[in-house]
This record gives sequence, C-alpha cells and structure tokens, in this order.
Amino acid sequence: MRDWRRVKERIFLAVTSILAMVAVAPLFHIIASVAIRGGGVLYRAGLDFLTSQPAPPGSSMLGGIGPALLGTLWLALLTSAIGIPLSVLTAVFIVEFKDHPLARLAKVFTSSLLEIPTVLIGMLVFLTIVSMMGHYSLLAGSIALAIVMLPYTVSYVERAMEEVPRTYREAGYSIGMTRSQVVFDVVMGIARRGVAAGVVIGLAKIVSETAPLLFTIGSARSSYPMSMKDVFEPGDAVPLLIFQFAQTPYQNWQDLAWGAALILTVIVLALFAAMKLIVREVHL
Amino acid sequence: MDLVEVRVSRLNVWIGGKHILKDVYLKASPGSVTAVMGPSGSGKSTLIRVINRLIDLVPGARVEGEVLLGGINALREDPYIVRRLTGMVFQEPNPFPHMTIYDNVAIGPKLHGLARSRRELDSIVEWALKKAHLWDEVKDRLHDYPYQLSGGQKQRLSLARALALKPRVLLLDEPTANIDPVSTTKIERSIMEYAKEAMATVLIVTHTPQQAARISDQILFIYQGRVVEYGPTRELVLHPKNSLTRKFLGGEV
Repeated sequence: MRDWRRVKERIFLAVTSILAMVAVAPLFHIIASVAIRGGGVLYRAGLDFLTSQPAPPGSSMLGGIGPALLGTLWLALLTSAIGIPLSVLTAVFIVEFKDHPLARLAKVFTSSLLEIPTVLIGMLVFLTIVSMMGHYSLLAGSIALAIVMLPYTVSYVERAMEEVPRTYREAGYSIGMTRSQVVFDVVMGIARRGVAAGVVIGLAKIVSETAPLLFTIGSARSSYPMSMKDVFEPGDAVPLLIFQFAQTPYQNWQDLAWGAALILTVIVLALFAAMKLIVREVHL
Repeated sequence: MDLVEVRVSRLNVWIGGKHILKDVYLKASPGSVTAVMGPSGSGKSTLIRVINRLIDLVPGARVEGEVLLGGINALREDPYIVRRLTGMVFQEPNPFPHMTIYDNVAIGPKLHGLARSRRELDSIVEWALKKAHLWDEVKDRLHDYPYQLSGGQKQRLSLARALALKPRVLLLDEPTANIDPVSTTKIERSIMEYAKEAMATVLIVTHTPQQAARISDQILFIYQGRVVEYGPTRELVLHPKNSLTRKFLGGEV
C-alpha cells in the first residue's frame, strides 16, 4: 500500500513538472530565439546598429535602428514626464480621499482603462491631438503611451501605499506633519520600492507598446530627434519598427527587426535591474 | 516654560454610530502622570486620540464635549497646533523605517524649525535619546536604520522622536504592551522623569493596574466608555470605592 502511495506521489510530481515546462517553454523559446538571432545580427552590424538608419529594403547592407532607438528614448522621457506625476497623483488621490465620489470614479476609470485595447487609445489620440496638430508627432505618441501607462502604475502605487501600516501615518500626524508631508515624506518614503516598481512596470509596458504608436508617431524612419522642438515632429520607435519590418519580405529588414527585438529586451531588463539597484528596500 | 493643564469635560465620542466614550471627564496637571486604565475595548485609546485630534483620521467619528489644553480649545483649534503641543507614543513601536535612527529623532525639530544649526540639531537628538534612555545603545550607530533595533529599542526611539519636540503634553497608548521588561523599566523611568523635569502633563493608557500603580499620580478607570472611578493613585489602588474597580485590580474584569 505504501509503495502505491509513493508511486502516486511520483506520478503527480512528473505530471506537474511536465505541465510547468509546457507553460514556460514558449517563453524560453522567445528569449532564446531573440538572443540567438538578434545576437547574430548585432554581431554582424556592430555599433552602427545603434546609430545608423535602416538600409534600403532588399539591400545587402543592414544599417541600424538609430532613429527608432532615439525615438523610443524620447517617448520614454516624455511619457515619464506626463505619465509618472499623473499616475502617482491619481494613486494618492484614490488612497487619501477614499470616500470621495471623485476618488471612487477615478478608481473605476483607471481600472477600466486596463481593459481597453491600446489600439483604441492610439485612435483616440489620433482623432484629437494628431488631427488638431495636423500631423503625427512624438508628443502625440507620448500622450497615448501616458494613458496606457496610467492604469498599471496607478494600481501598483495604490497598492504599495495601502500596504504601509496605518501606525506610521498616525506617527507622522502626531509630530505635526501636514497631510502632504505624511503622504510624500512618510507613506511614499516607506512604499518607495513599490512606487518605483509601479513606475518601472509602467515604463517597461510603454517602451514595448506598438499599438498606440500606429496612428500617432508616423514611423519617420530617418529622422533623429535631438531637441525639444523635434518632439512636435513625427518620429519612430523600436517596437513600431519591429512590427513593421518583421512583416516585410526583405531579409535585411527582418534581420533589423530581430536585432531591435534584442535591444528592446535588454532595455526592459535594464529598467528592472536599475530599479532594484537604485531604490533601497525598506525593512519594517 | 508654559504649563499646560489638560481638562476634559462631558466628552462623548461616537464611531460609526457606536457610542465609544460617554460623558468622560478628567483633569491632568503639569508635572504629573495620569494613568488611563481599563480593560481592552473600553475606549482608552480613543480618549487620548481625541486629545491630539488623531481622531480626525478615524472615518465616521463624531466628537462632542470639551477638551482644553491650557488655554486652547483642542476640539476647535487647528489640529496642527494641537499636535505641536502634544507628543504621542503608540502601542506598536513605529519609528519611521525609511529614516535612520538620527533622522527619526531629528525630523520633528527639523519640521518645526527648532534648530538653527546642525550642531544644535545634534544636541537635540542627543538630548532626546538620552531622555529616552537609548543613547548609550545607539550612539555609535545613529546612521543605521531602525529595523536592526529590538522591539524595546524601537519603542524608546519612538519616545525620543516625541520628546525631541519637547511636548507640553505627552500621550502614551499602552507603550509597553509588547515590550521586553528591561525596556519597559526604562520607558517608565523616562516618562516619570520627563513629567517632573519638563513640568509636562503626561497621560498614559495602560491595561495593567501594576503599571498604573508604579508610575502614575492619579488613575482614571474607564469601563465600557464611562468613568468608573477617578482619583489619586494610592487611594484608588488601596481603597477602591467601586466594586468594578476592585474586580479590575484583582484581575477579574
């Protein structure tokens, strides 16, 4: 009888581990093929890959993703400038004014934003900002991305703030702190790891988003945005380049897409690593 | 040094429609320690949260009656002014975990501009940590974070944070409930010394009659939100008038 139990235990272990492997296999496949194929491309193109423009389609040359990379950096910067304060303040409002009808509305609104396909957000910005300006721009893309970022960052920051034990708020008030001092110096200070995680998750999400950019930035594949005034002009972004180049029949453009995919993966991983390094954990 | 007497009269508090405090009164004088004693759930914590207006943070709380801190009507005054006069130590040790030991004590004086120079701030921090009988244990690691301290040390750090503002009224909500005996003794000593030296008015919530007997000058015994007995410590402990008080002192309530 005892042997049968042991056999059952073994079978169970085998079945669950096989299922687990089935579940993570695609992830490994993606990472491995991006690393191998993208790595090969990067090795062939060298540092030029990060700075040059894409070579003409079908050419034997590769070129690079310089404009798209620069565009993505600008998008990340602008989206952070719009999205981070907006998300953090929205989270503060939701947590601090829990019983206010507007706070409840904001909570419902941000969580339903999560369910809206991001391509619709791109279309919304197209119908408003882009048609108002008369052309595509990095700014329009950033506004779309900031809306995409909002629900992710809000819900993370909100949860991080909620997890700070009430007694620290009381302690803050007891020494005569104002509400904003309690929120920003005490609650945010204690929750900083969670707040930073929310920001990084939002950033990771938006640097790899494609759909909101389809109708907003205009894939200007040869322009190098250098100053603030270029923000009002069309630009390119790494995920958009991947999406568009991967669909073409040209070998050199497909290769660029593989290389760009590796770069994008590295950027996202670097964001998480930087957050872990920079923001010290708070031990309660 | 202004002396701030605490006077509470006809205090009624409801939280979410539930009547928590019923016609509570007390008078605590500068230089004395008043123990607010009673079984858990009797409204003791609520009472001291009314005095420094932390009750404002409790959703659905309604307060009626009068609380005077010297010449200040605490229920009508700006809560930030009330909290500037009062200091508080909580049941759970709660030094700010994201600040160093030094910063935990320095934050109050910095907030209210009490120090004009770094040296002055240093001396306030040292003074407060000494008053809380913690200085010797932390003087070599002022820039460490509090998570490395024991529970009792954390509680003394919380006390030092409150003392650094030299509060005229010191409120303590069962400060030694979860603390080791050595720290308990040190905290009790600090409390008594601070009351005498600074002529401060001290109110301490406790659920142990022994602690009330050790450190207080007068005891307010509350049961189910009502004052049952109120008087000088010696008298109340040795000759309790009310049968409920007798039972509580005997550990039966």
